[in-house]
Amino acid sequence: MRGRLSTSGAVLVYGFGALILLFILAPLLVVISLSVSQAPFATFPPRGFTFDWFGRVIADEEFRHAFMVSVVLAVAATAASFALGLPAAYALNRWKVPGAAAMEAILLSPQIFPILITGLALLQFMASRGLRDAEMNLFIGHVLITLPYLVRTITASLKLVDRTLEEAARTLGAPPWRVFWLVTVPQIIPGIAAGCLFSFMISFDDFPISLWLADAQTVPLPIFLHSSMSRVFDPSIAAMSTLMILTGALAVIGLEKLVGLRRAMGI
Amino acid sequence: MSATALPQPRGIAWPGRSSYVSLAMLLPGLAFLFAFLVLPSLVLLANGFMTQHQTGEVAPPFTLANFDRLLFSPAYQRTLLLTLKVAFVTSFVTVVLAYPLAMAIAYAKPWFSRLVMVLVVAPLVVSVLVRSYGWQLLLGNSRTGVLNWLLEAVGFGVTPVKIMFTEWAVVVASVHVFLPLMVLPLATSLTRINPAVIEAARMLGAAPWRAFLRVTLPLSIPGLTAGISVVFSLTAASYITPAMLGGTRGAMLGNLLEQQVTTAYDWAMGGAIAFVMVAIALGANIGATWLIEYRQRARLRASGAR
Repeated sequence: MRGRLSTSGAVLVYGFGALILLFILAPLLVVISLSVSQAPFATFPPRGFTFDWFGRVIADEEFRHAFMVSVVLAVAATAASFALGLPAAYALNRWKVPGAAAMEAILLSPQIFPILITGLALLQFMASRGLRDAEMNLFIGHVLITLPYLVRTITASLKLVDRTLEEAARTLGAPPWRVFWLVTVPQIIPGIAAGCLFSFMISFDDFPISLWLADAQTVPLPIFLHSSMSRVFDPSIAAMSTLMILTGALAVIGLEKLVGLRRAMGI
Repeated sequence: MSATALPQPRGIAWPGRSSYVSLAMLLPGLAFLFAFLVLPSLVLLANGFMTQHQTGEVAPPFTLANFDRLLFSPAYQRTLLLTLKVAFVTSFVTVVLAYPLAMAIAYAKPWFSRLVMVLVVAPLVVSVLVRSYGWQLLLGNSRTGVLNWLLEAVGFGVTPVKIMFTEWAVVVASVHVFLPLMVLPLATSLTRINPAVIEAARMLGAAPWRAFLRVTLPLSIPGLTAGISVVFSLTAASYITPAMLGGTRGAMLGNLLEQQVTTAYDWAMGGAIAFVMVAIALGANIGATWLIEYRQRARLRASGAR
């Protein structure tokens, strides 16, 4: 599968590829470089080198609270999406269900629906019923945006399962749940773990859902970061952003270790 | 159809108990989406066809006045057209930039292919907020913006480039935000092309660029179509990037929607804007799906005719 590039093609792919990679990295590198700047304002070029801004950010109780809100929210949303998504994906892939295509389209629909509107519609709906519990509303909103990712990754994993093994187990007399637990699950665990990790990041990074559903007590990290941006102009904003970039980098390493990035992204 | 073949019950493989079981497994997820996405969205979108009363309530009489205002009054129309323009330009630039990267993932040497894969996926798990902040720092209009600082450093800095708070800043950041979503389906399409087909074209004497245009490009169209529909619809629906980089000149439908419901309290107008945004997103996706299936059917027909 390699070596299909002609000489001119290789020049284009490697040369332009490298330039575009620079474009991809530039905004992240600028943010990271300013997070260690000694200058009092987050302006380029950075001056000196210090980890003080990280110290300040981590010492800030509001930041720590927002970080924890986001982590708890992302874990809870991922767990609930997993509980809803696994049986649904399994039923759609292993049994012929009437209207399967339509059901799958509905399960994946939050992915193509404008997220800003998902959040706004949920806010209006909950408020009209007097349900103003921000924690609950955020949880429901984040399940909506993470569910399609889990359905998709679980479906992809199920399609890669060696069906002959399942059939062998069934022929040998194992009941369906035993086949699932002893034969299917071990084969789909890495894919599911990768899906959960990705779902965690979708929720952790989300802005447009939380924009509508957060209140003064329950502030997820991106909302806290955004409101800080309009109040604070020192490099602590860059330090907070860098912490979010690092969380993402950890997730990428996790995905690569679990199933490999290519498979995690379905290539 | 002859009478010899009995009509088979299509769809249900294990009739009886297990179809109930599978329904029970699907029901929680579907019910959740219906209760918290479908129903609330229908209520919100229906607002667009009603009237905002002084009391703050949105109720009949039913009207198309909101859509009339959105589509034909100059200020709203400008935002709508700007949204479509930004989405269109972003999709186009993204395709151009995504091709070399997707080809690198599919065809380059393993070390480069892996490097590209990591750097394409990594931004996907970094919040759009953080990436837009990075572009704010890069594109700043004064000399403290990285771009202008660089231009000055190499001697072009007589007048600072001022693209911040215009739609062009939004385009640049949107390209960055959505590039992975174009590269990934494209790379999937490219890796699925049978290498023998390209080799055959080359061996029959096609120049590399000709083999690319006549063989690789047409075969990558499913990935390309999927990528364009995703990038177009997500760009048209974006909120945070135009809010941070577009200012008032680069405001898009999402920003208009937010402003209508949080400062003007006009939920009827908000419903109309939401309706148009949903129509753009669904239109792009359904259109792309239809196009891919149409091409497949056409190809099947062509191969059947031979």
